[in-house]
Amino acid sequence: MLLTYVDAIRQALAEEMRRDPAVFLLGEDIGIYGGAFKATAGLVDEFGPARVVDTPLAESAIVGAAIGAAYTGMRPVVEMQFMDFIACCFNQITNFAAKSHYRWGAPVPMVIRGPVGGGVHGGPFHSQNPEMYFAHTPGLKVVEPATARDAYGLLKSAIRDNNPVLFLEHKFLYRRVKEEIAEDGPAIPLGVAAVARPGRDLSVITYGAMVQLALETAQALAAEGVDAEVLDLRTLAPLDRGGIVATAKKTNKVLILHEDTRTGGIAGEITAILQEEAFDDLDAPILRLTSADTPVPFSPPLEAAFLPSAEGLKAALRRLARY
Amino acid sequence: MTPSPELTAADRGANSEREWFEDLRLERHAFTIRRTRREGKVVYEWSGEITDPPPLRESGSLDRAQCLEIYRFLLMNRIMEQQLENLYKQGQVVGGVYFGLGQEGNSVASAYALDATDWMAPMIRNQGSLLVRGFAPRDVMMQYMAKAGSPTGGRDGTSHYGDLGPRRMISPISMLGDLIPVMGGICMGERLQGRNVAAMTWIGDGGQSTGVFHEAVNFAAVQNLGLVLVVENNLWAYSTPLNEQTKVADLALRARGYGIPAVVVDGTDVLQVYDACRGAVERAHGGGGPTLIESKLMRMKGHAIHDAAAYVPPELLEFWRRRDPILRFEQYLRQKGWLTAEAQQRLVAEVEQFMLAERAAAEASPMPDGNTALSGVYCEPGCHAVQPRFEAAAPALAAANGGAHLTAVEGDAPHLR
Ligand SMILES: Cc1ncc(C[n+]2csc(CCOP(=O)(O)OP(=O)(O)O)c2C)c(N)n1
Ligand SMILES: [Mg+2]
Repeated sequence: MLLTYVDAIRQALAEEMRRDPAVFLLGEDIGIYGGAFKATAGLVDEFGPARVVDTPLAESAIVGAAIGAAYTGMRPVVEMQFMDFIACCFNQITNFAAKSHYRWGAPVPMVIRGPVGGGVHGGPFHSQNPEMYFAHTPGLKVVEPATARDAYGLLKSAIRDNNPVLFLEHKFLYRRVKEEIAEDGPAIPLGVAAVARPGRDLSVITYGAMVQLALETAQALAAEGVDAEVLDLRTLAPLDRGGIVATAKKTNKVLILHEDTRTGGIAGEITAILQEEAFDDLDAPILRLTSADTPVPFSPPLEAAFLPSAEGLKAALRRLARY
Repeated sequence: MTPSPELTAADRGANSEREWFEDLRLERHAFTIRRTRREGKVVYEWSGEITDPPPLRESGSLDRAQCLEIYRFLLMNRIMEQQLENLYKQGQVVGGVYFGLGQEGNSVASAYALDATDWMAPMIRNQGSLLVRGFAPRDVMMQYMAKAGSPTGGRDGTSHYGDLGPRRMISPISMLGDLIPVMGGICMGERLQGRNVAAMTWIGDGGQSTGVFHEAVNFAAVQNLGLVLVVENNLWAYSTPLNEQTKVADLALRARGYGIPAVVVDGTDVLQVYDACRGAVERAHGGGGPTLIESKLMRMKGHAIHDAAAYVPPELLEFWRRRDPILRFEQYLRQKGWLTAEAQQRLVAEVEQFMLAERAAAEASPMPDGNTALSGVYCEPGCHAVQPRFEAAAPALAAANGGAHLTAVEGDAPHLR
């Protein structure tokens, strides 16, 4: 089947619900309406309103209910209409779900999925990348696929995982990327990065919609004789330290690219890992290209200035290549 | 800007409001706490009459054996807390200790109303409910002492533990209010597997002000979940009196806002508490949705052991000292002829003896090995996962209850009996 990123998500949800009666969905407007981005379109017809639950507008109650259901052996998948609203249930996620297994041995097999990211002029409250609030919290897993096939395979793993997983879907990708995906295809393990483009001269470590930008830029730089490797992290927690160190040891030059804002972004953590584990292999300072430390602005020229750009990435990679 | 200076315990609500809940009480408390200035200091002042309480309200559903079992739990609760205070004073407790003095009847009788297949989640003062649910006093003690043998192996303290196994108890977190949606979710998960269960938890007059309380009660109402929510109105949230918490005289009235039934009970009357909770549990079993129970009582000690509660007017304590739930229940049992003075003394001695043994066991547990701190953040393959148990009727039950609210849009005040 040729599936877009959002189709792949729906396909994975449907297959997991068919495979395991413990899987059910809850969220705002996900039933008859099919979700704000139609990620759950049609699922209520197949599985019924008891397993595709339209809820009141109450994020703490939704996530709390998912945690409770998970304690009884169910595998709830919560949709956040926009991941920005996850701030409303921060306590349920970081204090209830994340600490549950550590504190008293009670696993919380729950997925919270929904759209993140900018580039669609959503403004300050419909464009954020909240991953680091959660990647910082022990006990949570944080996943962000960059391709339709990864969206499909990683979501399957997230649903089968016994821990709370935040599954961040980049809304810019929902209908812009498409891939051939086999029905009932394999799950893709969490915590394993993928080399999206092999290269010899330098490495771009990135994830989410920035993988597309990295691939396009690498293509452009190939004409200038710079052979860039692109590493797609896919999972931010737990991080694939081995994959990160391996690409650095291979190319000896690293740039970390993310759409998340700069301070406290994953780039800082990756830089520290490379200092600890690959210092002797580095031929250049580690560079970062990220969004600015501001809220996500609304107007297109403002948002363009906020986000990492193709030009900015090219310039940074040329600089890195010169070392 | 200043909040209303009057704290009226119970009787401020107009009669029209009272129609929205069932009231099992045999007395309405008439006293007022006024914030005033005395000799340059801002204080709370009592006015009212210190009366004696009526006898308990006959239950009709509890037999002698059950009453005596409840009585034993009450004694255990109180004597255990005396031991905890003692352990604290000897420096054996890590951190503070929280007490439920004066609230034991509410903790024990509410938990006693659950079936073994139901679920519960305690708040910090509900130590009696832990005992009812099958935890041993030594578990409670070791948890406060941060011992290796504690239910969390020293990873957390106070009443922060649970059991997904036979005791079906969810561990609370410190953030008040956040247990409520989780308990609703328990009912949702069980219903998807074909069972209507009750899920009980407690919340204070303070905790009831949180946003998540409102989200969760509304959610349970709309989804028709068997939440049994006991609002422990003990008149104080740490040092904050009721009237600085809410303008509502009877917290049960809030149920009206969610279209669910509510009951008000005298929280020092074990039989009222049991009857209200049992009714709510049975409603949950029948797929009838959530119930809010307001239990009116008094926190008879400070917020925690460090708090002398000097802000509480002494008359208020005297008023409630006459309403000690254990003494009131004892009198009931005497009157029924179910407990002789001799039997009572024997029971107290036996529980005291038992508690000393429990305490010795708790003291004997070592402190945890520091290395155990580093594991168990994730439940990895091989870690125990909870397996669902689907009943044959699961889809039908889930559809019937889950969709019930959709047909009830016309039903104004369906709980009015
Ligand atoms: C959300 C939240 N805010 C603050 C606290 C700190 N705190 C713990 S108990 C308490 C007072 C609680 O009062 P109430 O809910 O009436 O329960 P009570 O102690 O009277 O049983 C406060 C402020 C907390 N635990 N959770
Ligand atoms: Mg209180």
